Amino acid sequence: MAVLRSTPVTARVGVWLGAAVAVCFVTGLFSHFIQHPQPWFYWPTRPVWLYRLTQGLHVVSGIAAIPLLVVKLWSVWPKLFERPYLGGLVRQLERGSILVLVGAMIFQLSTGLMNIAQWYAFRFFFTTSHYEMAYVAAGAVIVHIAVKLPVIRRALGEPLDTGVPDTYRGISRRTVLRGTWLAVGLATVLTAGQTVPLLRKVSLLAPRSGKGPQGVPINRTAVSAGVLASARSPDYRLTVTNGDRSHAFTVAELAALPQVTRSLPIACVEGWSADGEWTGVVLADLVAAVGGSADADVRMISLEPPGPYSRTVLPARHARDSHTLIALQLNGETLALDHGYPCRLIAPSRPGVLQTKWLSRIEVVQP
Amino acid sequence: MTAVRVLLIAVGIGIAGYGVALALDEPRVILFRMVVWALVGVVLHDLVFAPVCVALGFAGRRLIPQKWWGPVALAALCSVVLVMLAIPVFDKPGMRPDNLTVLDRDYHAGLWISLAIVWACVPLYLLAARLLPLRKR
Repeated sequence: MAVLRSTPVTARVGVWLGAAVAVCFVTGLFSHFIQHPQPWFYWPTRPVWLYRLTQGLHVVSGIAAIPLLVVKLWSVWPKLFERPYLGGLVRQLERGSILVLVGAMIFQLSTGLMNIAQWYAFRFFFTTSHYEMAYVAAGAVIVHIAVKLPVIRRALGEPLDTGVPDTYRGISRRTVLRGTWLAVGLATVLTAGQTVPLLRKVSLLAPRSGKGPQGVPINRTAVSAGVLASARSPDYRLTVTNGDRSHAFTVAELAALPQVTRSLPIACVEGWSADGEWTGVVLADLVAAVGGSADADVRMISLEPPGPYSRTVLPARHARDSHTLIALQLNGETLALDHGYPCRLIAPSRPGVLQTKWLSRIEVVQP
Repeated sequence: MTAVRVLLIAVGIGIAGYGVALALDEPRVILFRMVVWALVGVVLHDLVFAPVCVALGFAGRRLIPQKWWGPVALAALCSVVLVMLAIPVFDKPGMRPDNLTVLDRDYHAGLWISLAIVWACVPLYLLAARLLPLRKR
């Protein structure tokens, strides 16, 4: 057995890689099912930072998996050239499953890392392909663990230096493991500042510094949404409807309603997040003003021309929450155009992409 | 344990199969691009990156004094990770002119500074190992 590229090293790094993949997969599913609601899926409104935490963990665990995958593949790479190259059916199945596993992992980590930097060099749609391949990767990991379970158990039960000759004087296995944890820590510190304010200054490779208008970054700008004129038009109205009942508010009328200030994070699917002090009208008050039920879902429609994110449905649980605002101000200033002026949705524990900006209509969904 | 393993394999194949079934709904050309992306990733690792690492390790063991091997190897690993993290941001290929809140750092400086810190740790570690009464391996 080679001293460094050895099963005791592979198994130990594998445990951590497996943990990172598990966290990444589960938090990714949370994010998916919030955006594609299913009757059986329950997503709470408290704590308000829950989505910030889960999606932050999704990106942090994915980035942590990069050094873990590098070391894990390094530790088993010579097996690629073990004979027989093809062998019988069982051998081919084993090799094929490893190919699927490695391919899916590389696919997930590379596309995820590129997505947070908004670099779409691949010519397929990110969200659907990342979601589909996530199942392939997770399933392949589970099969791999099952196949290797006896080897893993034996390796973890033995001391790290099992099989190392006394005469060996090179790099120790312990050094390899410590180096791996060090690389994981380094990768985390250099990128996690986009969601952990304490690390902001040292996250030299984070796609976002955390700066932005009114102290909050943006993803979709007013220019790319095509709302520069409509958002600033004197004819602007926010229309709130409940079946036949409807009420149109001017910006001044919205500002004249009772205003509430809430501290809520905005947390992007891309893993960055920031706290904001949002001031505006409680959504439930607007819904009540047109006689809407507290048990109804509420549809948010943007001034933005129809597209995947120009309208969203807010579940009743979030719609009736006293922290859910139609915000007119951010951090004490009138909402910047890029933050959704004249008004936007801000609800607790939701992905930023569903916090609809430049609202034009709010519809109480009829049962 | 055999039952557990059989169960895990069945669950794993089920989950992976679900992903494949979802992907099969994609247009053929999209599916083809996805598979190619994954395979190119595997080939780049197995036939380019890994052999280069072997060559560097082979050269390093002959050119570098043995007591430097550990810290140099760790610095090399950290450098690989830094470069991988830097690739999507280094020249800001995803930059769009209307949004200045994405890719808003100086990533050239960020990469060089972090690489410099990593490699500065190598002599510092060896100096500390000499000065401090560290236990032997």
